Formats: sequence, C-alpha cells, structure tokens
Amino acid sequence: MPAIDFMTVSILYITAIVILLVGYLTAVSSKDIVRLLIALELMFGAVFMSLIPLFSVLPDPAFGVALLTIFASGGELLVLTAAIVIHDRRKKSILTSSVSIGGDNV
Amino acid sequence: MNVEMLLLVALAGVTALSTLGVLLTKDNFYAAMYMTLTLVMVATIYAFFSIEPVFILIVFVFIGAIGIVTVAIAATYRHGPERQFSVFWAIPIVVTAAVLCYSIYTYVLDVPVYTALMTFTTHYSLKFSIENFITTEYLLLLLFMTSLAVLLMLSVVNIYRSEN
Repeated sequence: MPAIDFMTVSILYITAIVILLVGYLTAVSSKDIVRLLIALELMFGAVFMSLIPLFSVLPDPAFGVALLTIFASGGELLVLTAAIVIHDRRKKSILTSSVSIGGDNV
Repeated sequence: MNVEMLLLVALAGVTALSTLGVLLTKDNFYAAMYMTLTLVMVATIYAFFSIEPVFILIVFVFIGAIGIVTVAIAATYRHGPERQFSVFWAIPIVVTAAVLCYSIYTYVLDVPVYTALMTFTTHYSLKFSIENFITTEYLLLLLFMTSLAVLLMLSVVNIYRSEN
C-alpha cells in the first residue's frame, strides 16, 4: 500500500479536478437529459476521488462521508432517472430545450 | 519514482482518458460506457490504497445499480446530441489552462513553500479498518441515511404513480 505524500495527493487532486471539469463541460455542452445524468455521475466520481486523501488523516469520518456521498448521490441519480422517464412520457422528448422552467414542470 | 507511484500515475491517466471519452463521443451509449469505466477506475484507485469497503460500495452500489441503469437508459435513447457551444471556445480554455499550469509550476518551484508542503504531507499511511467504524454514532448515521433514502424513493414512486 503506497504512503500518502505530496506527490500522491497531487495526482489524486489533479485527476479529481480533470474529472470534475469534464463533467461540467459535458453538462453545459449537451442538449440531452441523458448526457446530463452522465455528467452528474462523473461529478460524483470526482467527489469520490477527492475523498481518498482524507482517509490518511481521519479514516473513520472519511468512510462516513464516503458512505453518505455514495448513497445520497445514488438516490439523487435515481430521482433524476425517474424524472427523465416522466419527462419522456409527457413531452415525448429528452432534449433539455423541452424542459419548462421551474417547479413541478419537470 | 517507485513502482507504486508509476501504477498510480497509470491508473490516474486511464481515469482521465476515459473521462475525456465521455466528452468526445457523440453517442450516449458509449458516453455511458466511458462513464462506467471512469467510475471503475476511481474504485480501483480506492482498492489500490487498500480501502476495500469503499471499493465494494462504489462497484456494487454506484456502478452495479446506478451505472447500469444509466447505460440502459443511454442505450434506449441512443442518438448523438448537438453541441451547444462553438469549438472556438477551446482557445480561451487552453490559454487559461496554460496560465494556471504555469502559475502552479512556479508556485511549486518556490523552495520554502514546497519544503513546507512536503513536511506537512509526507508519508501518512492509511489506517482505516471497518471494525473501528462500527460504533453507535455511525450506526445512527446509517439508520438516518437509510430512512432518508427510503423517503426519497417513496416520494419518487408517489410521483410516478400520480403520473399514471
């Protein structure tokens, strides 16, 4: 098992930033709700990646945070999946341009 | 640079490349596959640091459940979406990235700061074990989290049923 030193932390954080930025870019560049879901999952992947160095100083709270992140993001993504299905039923389209602004109009 | 560091760099490189695959492919299905590969690589990096419980959680919960649902949806709605921005935006992005990289490079070369950082972050070892985690506080946290997830899912089911 490798030790967590400056170089390791740098590699982990740079990779996390790359994943996060690509997630952002994918989110803003697509006209498709499915692509938005994929971008969101990438962003959560970046969060998981950035949690690794925390395990070296606070292992138990880090595991708690990881557990919360995994299940909270899983629930959020499942809600978004249900929203995509409902949106497709209503509008017969999954393009973001067909999404109405605000509230319950998914 | 030892073998472990090289392996970590290789894993991080594959992760970054598969992430770029999500952005560059126009097919939703392949984008979902690249996304799944990225998450598998993130879980592998956890395994690389011997944090197996998180590896199992990511692989089974996040990829096994959510990732596969996403791949299935992407395979159903399989078409190439149009881009919303011009490729000329890449020019300012590359310039900004270059300036940032140069700033970080010059910052790291500043010897006192680099030495301070090295002494601060040198050789911590990961001491996580699942036995230490199972305490009353964390079990309460798990209970609250499970209740929250059940409430969330029930509300989704309610919305879905009201749609029908």
